[in-house]
Amino acid sequence: MPIIKVEALRKVYVQTISSAKVVAIDNLTFNINEHEVVSIVGQTGCGKSTFLNILMGLEQPTSGKLEVDGKEPYKDFNSLKGKIGIVFQQDRLLPWRRAIDNTKIGLEVLGYTPEEQIKRASEWLTRLGLANFLNAYPSELSGGMRQRVALARALCIDPKIILLDEAFGHLDEVTASKLRKDFLELVHSTKKTAVFVTHQLDEAIEIGNRIIVFGKPAKVLADIKVEPSFKDDQSKIQRLRQEIQQILDKNQPIGLE
Amino acid sequence: MGKSSEAEDWAKPESIAAKTLGRLKIGKEAIISLIFFGVAWQIVSLFTPSYIVPGWQVIFDKMIRLQPYQIYVTVVRVVLALVVSFGLGVLGAVVMYLSKKLENYISPLVKLVMAVPVICWILFAVLWFSAVEFRIFFILVIVCCPVFLIDVLDALKGVPKDLRDMILSFRPSKMQYIRKLLLPAIVPAVLTSWKINLSLAIRVVTIAELVGAVSGIGFALNIAQANFSVAEVFAWTIVLILILLAAQVPVSWVESKALRWRL
Ligand SMILES: Nc1ncnc2c1ncn2[C@@H]1O[C@H](COP(=O)(O)OP(=O)(O)OP(=O)(O)O)[C@@H](O)[C@H]1O
Ligand SMILES: [Mg+2]
Repeated sequence: MPIIKVEALRKVYVQTISSAKVVAIDNLTFNINEHEVVSIVGQTGCGKSTFLNILMGLEQPTSGKLEVDGKEPYKDFNSLKGKIGIVFQQDRLLPWRRAIDNTKIGLEVLGYTPEEQIKRASEWLTRLGLANFLNAYPSELSGGMRQRVALARALCIDPKIILLDEAFGHLDEVTASKLRKDFLELVHSTKKTAVFVTHQLDEAIEIGNRIIVFGKPAKVLADIKVEPSFKDDQSKIQRLRQEIQQILDKNQPIGLE
Repeated sequence: MGKSSEAEDWAKPESIAAKTLGRLKIGKEAIISLIFFGVAWQIVSLFTPSYIVPGWQVIFDKMIRLQPYQIYVTVVRVVLALVVSFGLGVLGAVVMYLSKKLENYISPLVKLVMAVPVICWILFAVLWFSAVEFRIFFILVIVCCPVFLIDVLDALKGVPKDLRDMILSFRPSKMQYIRKLLLPAIVPAVLTSWKINLSLAIRVVTIAELVGAVSGIGFALNIAQANFSVAEVFAWTIVLILILLAAQVPVSWVESKALRWRL
């Protein structure tokens, strides 16, 4: 059953100074089923973050339709409270809050008891290897650590749907790979629906059981199912990787609209 | 790299807090130059009549005989007027933040008020109001309130969209949005604004009292000047400097508590 429905979605930005129009999303149509883990790949500036912002209800679509759990996220903003979480491309921590207080901000908003807030937030930070940094301010953390706090902040409200925008991009490969495994296990064990944006094809293939390739501006160039058995076969992975790379290369845009 | 978030840039640690703490620490050089000034003054006083450059003993002698009541009056006037200015300023800033339309109406008026020289406000106050306390209150509020308003409004507008979106993604109530994001985000600017306004208000209140009051430090200065008592003028000046420095202490204390994250 689709939990996310995208139909002829279009987003046009008007730039502040030049008032030039930028088409960020152009006629995007696809559905995402419950419990699916979808990787979205596409080159830089193709509208991936814009798409997540619209999914989150932070931006209004210019035209077309988008439904999350039967609701329009922008118009019906509060109906998705507690159901959807996002890890932004940048950590976006509040500089005046310690790691643990940054982590529990969602729990505060959702009205958890203070004890429960602390308990959950510290559990998550510990799980992400930050047990010794609960009381550190963001300025005292490295970029990778801050990104993990942002991850904990999104996950500790236990949302049904989780959106990730290059969430592991700032991490070294060892940490990233460990987090990817942790994340996958979590998503599967708690039966979440996940939308995972990345520009690394390997990461997209490892995480997703489905890969959607975005053109620029965002439209579906390819929609590929990745069977679980696939992931153990290096040669198949290599072939898939090449295939996606070709699709991306073929669709280099010529000039701006 | 290059991906450092907007939020980060905006909270760079070369902060006002750090600078103030640095400023409050009196270094060795500062002490030396102050001592040098004091000694030089004393030497000059030996060769000049005491009604031009009085020696330190004369000044201190005057200082301990100043009326504390005048200090008290001035301080109460300043604190009261600043609290009211701050309240009105925050209110105005929030209203203007919430409504672009109202901002467009109010902001030219604020700019106009800020463009009028302080001395003109003092003259207007003397011409318009007969009640002395109200005159001074009016002058202080009309000078300080727009500063608070502009500072708070700028701070509100400066809250990065990144952070606003982050907190909105959790679907907070209006109150939660204000309490968890807007208020803490403007604290640094509010504290800076208080420091600026404190010194502004103390300087303005003295002139206001000098022209249009029958009590307070400005009034006492006026009397001292009428009596040609240079020593007393100096004594009051030192008191004013001390008040100004002392006024920074509570603000810096709050700053060190509230802005620990910046240090
Ligand atoms: N608020 C905005 N105002 C105007 N234009 C915008 C705005 N946000 C995004 N854009 C434009 O929309 C396009 C898509 O941006 P978006 O951030 O969604 O790309 P992206 O796919 O996430 O890129 P990256 O991989 O580099 O993060 C870009 O051309 C960008 O300039
Ligand atoms: Mg992006």
